[in-house]
Amino acid sequence: MPDVNLTIDGHKLSVPAGTLVVEAAKTIGIEIPVFCYHHKLDTVGACRMCLVEMTPGPPRPQTACTTPATEGMVVKTLSAMAVQARADILEFELANHPLDCPVCDKGGECPLQDFTFRHGYPTSRIDGPRLHFKKPIPLSDNIALDRERCVLCYRCTRYYDEVAWEQELTTDERGVQSFITSQFGQPLQSIFSGNIIDLCPVGALTSRVWRFESRPWDMTHTATICSRCSVGCSVTQWQRRGQLVRVTSHENDDIDEGWICDRGRFDYTDVNDPKRYRTPMVDGVKATWADAILTMAAGIRGKGAKLGISLPQDITNEEAFLFRKLLDGPLKGARVKMHGRTALPAPTGDGLRIKEIDDARVIVVVASDIENDVPIVDLRVKKAVGKRGAKLIVVHPDGVDLDRHPGTVHIRNTAGAAAAEVRKLASHELLANPGGPVAILFGDGRGTEDAADLAAACTELAAKVGGKVMPLYRATNERGALAAGVAGWDKLDGVEALFSWGPPPAAGVPSTVRFMAAWDHLPREGHDRAVVLPAATFAERQGSYTNLEGTVQFLRPPIALRPPLKEGWEVLTELANALGLALDYPGIFPIQRELAEQPPSPEPEPAPVLVGPAHP
Amino acid sequence: MPALDLAQEELGHLTPEAMTEVATALELDPGYVEGVATFYSLFHLTPVGRHHFYVCTNLSCAIRGSAEIVRRFQEATGVKAPDEVTPDGLFSYEEVECLGACEYAPMMRLDQRFHYDLTPEKIDELIADRKAGRTAPPSPAATPPRERGGEPPPSPAATPPRKRRGAAPPSPAAAPPRKRGGTTRKKKADG
Amino acid sequence: MAELRGSSGDAPQNLLTRWFGTPNLHTLDVYESKAGGYTALRKALFDMAPADITNEVKTSGLRGRGGAGFATGVKWSFINRDAPGPKYVVVNADESEPGTAKDRYILENSPHMVVEGILIAAYAVGANQAWVYIRGEYDEPRRMLVEAIDEARAKGYIGPRPMGKDYPLDIQIYRGHGAYICGEETALLESLEGKRAQPRSRPPFPAVKGAWGRPTLLNNVETLATVPTIINMGGAGYAKVGTAKNPGTRLLTVSGNVRKPGVYEVEIGKTFRHVIMELAGGPPEGRKVKVFWPGGSSAPVLPESMLDVTTDAEALAAAKSMGGSGGVIVMDDSHCVVKAAYRLLQFYAHESCGKCTPCRIGQDWAVRTYERILANEGSQIDLDILRSVSDGLQNGRSLCGLGDSGGWVIDSTLRHFRDEYEDHALRHECNVGRVMAHA
Repeated sequence: MPDVNLTIDGHKLSVPAGTLVVEAAKTIGIEIPVFCYHHKLDTVGACRMCLVEMTPGPPRPQTACTTPATEGMVVKTLSAMAVQARADILEFELANHPLDCPVCDKGGECPLQDFTFRHGYPTSRIDGPRLHFKKPIPLSDNIALDRERCVLCYRCTRYYDEVAWEQELTTDERGVQSFITSQFGQPLQSIFSGNIIDLCPVGALTSRVWRFESRPWDMTHTATICSRCSVGCSVTQWQRRGQLVRVTSHENDDIDEGWICDRGRFDYTDVNDPKRYRTPMVDGVKATWADAILTMAAGIRGKGAKLGISLPQDITNEEAFLFRKLLDGPLKGARVKMHGRTALPAPTGDGLRIKEIDDARVIVVVASDIENDVPIVDLRVKKAVGKRGAKLIVVHPDGVDLDRHPGTVHIRNTAGAAAAEVRKLASHELLANPGGPVAILFGDGRGTEDAADLAAACTELAAKVGGKVMPLYRATNERGALAAGVAGWDKLDGVEALFSWGPPPAAGVPSTVRFMAAWDHLPREGHDRAVVLPAATFAERQGSYTNLEGTVQFLRPPIALRPPLKEGWEVLTELANALGLALDYPGIFPIQRELAEQPPSPEPEPAPVLVGPAHP
Repeated sequence: MPALDLAQEELGHLTPEAMTEVATALELDPGYVEGVATFYSLFHLTPVGRHHFYVCTNLSCAIRGSAEIVRRFQEATGVKAPDEVTPDGLFSYEEVECLGACEYAPMMRLDQRFHYDLTPEKIDELIADRKAGRTAPPSPAATPPRERGGEPPPSPAATPPRKRRGAAPPSPAAAPPRKRGGTTRKKKADG
Repeated sequence: MAELRGSSGDAPQNLLTRWFGTPNLHTLDVYESKAGGYTALRKALFDMAPADITNEVKTSGLRGRGGAGFATGVKWSFINRDAPGPKYVVVNADESEPGTAKDRYILENSPHMVVEGILIAAYAVGANQAWVYIRGEYDEPRRMLVEAIDEARAKGYIGPRPMGKDYPLDIQIYRGHGAYICGEETALLESLEGKRAQPRSRPPFPAVKGAWGRPTLLNNVETLATVPTIINMGGAGYAKVGTAKNPGTRLLTVSGNVRKPGVYEVEIGKTFRHVIMELAGGPPEGRKVKVFWPGGSSAPVLPESMLDVTTDAEALAAAKSMGGSGGVIVMDDSHCVVKAAYRLLQFYAHESCGKCTPCRIGQDWAVRTYERILANEGSQIDLDILRSVSDGLQNGRSLCGLGDSGGWVIDSTLRHFRDEYEDHALRHECNVGRVMAHA
């Protein structure tokens, strides 16, 4: 599309045709304040905050968020008409707004505050009772609603409706009596509920987990990667005095587009748990690192298959790389079990990238309830279907959230028959002439499907209809672990020694274990008779994950690791040395360089044929 | 909306359970239904009398004495405010906006028909009749089914509200009857 | 049904209401046999091309009778008849503008006239399906319309082959549930789609993207009821009545402090003095007209000194008011203007949908300010607040006309009755009294 030339406040600029005036102004650093407008939501022009003077146009202010730039347009944001309109709207917004700034968590990062300073009247004429609501209202365990602060920009309800496809958050009543509520006052259930906190331009929707914790200027933050699932959304983690105090979204249009799910947002307080290990422990007694590592090495050396190793779902690529060295060397023969992985085989060939879902004309989702398995990918699929007109086929025995769209074709297979249904899809009418790329996302049915066969069927289908596949791994770094060959399946029954990197096995510590060693941050059952090394949490560790589409992303921890805590790769290096494997890495970068230079694993991990109850 | 109308006809007003049932039947989220029900004035979310007097007090009726009509109703029934229902469950009232019959002001809507040229005496009569059971409101079954609103024809470009899947949401346990809106500032009486 | 209150106004220009009063005019038989009904539909379906129909309406100069007064023929031409896919006609029977009863009047007396107009319009713009959105409080008019539609269907005028023409036509009724904002076109569409009725940002306009995203024609009841007359008389014939720029007749509802309130069909261009004092008999004995709203409560008020303003759109615009819905509310000198304005602002605040900031907050803020003033707690600041709220509601600040209307009430009453406001706000006295909305 050709560009158009327009003038804003005397500055000439060129933007792609169709760019909204409010976005065009942003490109040259001119702020047109907005409340209801959000670049990821459909525009409504409701709050009237962005009124500016435009020619050609009627002799009245117009909303910049609903008007696309046209050739020769002249926009004035500083004319008397525009300035007055903005100040008046702000006065209206403040008419019922409570004087809560001192106790409101939004203070310091509040658009209403900032706009009032920059664009509003310096004094207030409001004298008399304001509208009152009972407050705060807990919308869920994690989110609080303050109806008096709400400016009814409707970002939250529109997000829920357009992006998450749910209406459990709604507006009641009419006019000035309107208020936001969860349906019938019941707690919000959606895994996507937390994003409304980021969206809310005032302190109406706030995090209960972060309530009264800190002011924004007292925190430092980094943009890093979430550790809770395989999607690898970008998040912002905020720290204050060595504590992880909150998690908010960070926009990465290639993956998450600025949304995160509630797991990533609210599930972090374990980092600050006062019961965290700060020094190594041997049999419940504090020990030095040297002693602990030696004791550990002695306990796991030369055990062969009598050693069980439990790996966490969020093992980093660097740690996995070092484990590979250990498993090829001194710990050869040990059984390995990784938390939370699917039964899916390692990827073959060029897979689908998350951002490519946008352009898909037909999307096929097989054997996975993606809302729970890979939540943010679910939102991306919903966007493609709801806003970009993609067609959707779901193959799953039960109803899923995607059924809400009236056009969804849902094929209910019997458990175990997904691959057969996929093979039949080659002749489905929607795939006869897709009119563009096809995206095929497949999971493992939580253990009910023959994952290898399903992977093959999906790959065949992709080749036939001009599409790409995305295996839906679930463990955070499942793909990275698969590439390193440490994404183990082995059963740990009957092992005599157990080495837990991270939390103990989900099935519990086998009763045959005589020696246990763990790298963990919180006390667990059995630790009092084990060697425990204090672990760095996800908010402190360096390293990288490979997300389900194959993108390697680097963690940027907000919290500096406090001695005597050590990095995971450092501990593994010392352990290797104690086991007789000479490794010397002065830092993490040499490890990453070595990783990058490695040829890809010659034999992909053979996938087990698994049909039966879901793997934990 | 037609579904909510049916529910209200049967129950007298809309309870959270009724709204949830409507939502389930139409495969919608209850929140969506709740939002629609609370928007429109004719949906009652608290119990009303069997004979609910919708008295217009907008301008044309006001300058022709609607205040007197309201006062007389209050005196005759003992009801003091729009939220109240008489103990026998028969009467309640509401001050409404223009009903589109201004040439017959002051007027009101009662039992699904308009009553014109009101006087205090007429109010007395209407109340007495209903107390004696003399005038029954038109039975809902008398209204032909079609006028309850047809279904929209299927349209490829349609964006109907999202359907809800899965089990019905838990019945809202003993939710207190809803009052309209946030705090109501007391209306100051006109001088 | 109640006695017919109003009249066919000024003979011989009683184009619409000519037959009102004929017993059983609401039945198809009488409508056809005594009132020449359905001749226009027959002519439109068989003797005219759809584009011709639209042209006749354009030539007639008919303007929308709902409130906005947009040229109807031009509005019809915005629908691209040849675009693929369904199109709709939606009839705005929400009539909730205070002081307006004409649509109810038409529906109760001659529902078939409306049905005929709907069918002609649908054929002209390429729609096969029409929806009548009728306000929930209109029980009797709805029953009559349902009966009329049933009769027309039974006679074969509605259905797969209306009158034998190979062009399916259907009319369905959808009942509103109490919201003035549903009179606004795009809010009406939202309500029709089963949602909370909040107006949409325009563009896109309903002619491009209306009900369920389809091109939609929205017209008021009276506008469509006029269509058969135009087809029968011809557009040029209709345009001879009324004024050059604002032809025809319209139904004015006269109410308030007048001796003969009613719905009067009046040739556009007569004075308000004629309408109020002659047709409606003027104020009661011993009183004088103080102020009147020429077109529903949303039309800026005019004082008694402007009774000679004529009823056409141009004259009203020059008088800084508008024709609106034709609801003429007359208030005499025993009532206080400030109290009247207060009651109207309460109305707008109650009916505000809450979507846009100025209307949601501004109307309520005005109400609270009026309360303070009327409780003798006011001061100059309150008058300033009313002024700036009024400015803050108008001229593009609000998303739709409901906001503007509140602003116009404040603006026009302040302009013409400043002394009454100052009596209340500055001198804490009221020299008039009454209105008395609530007990």
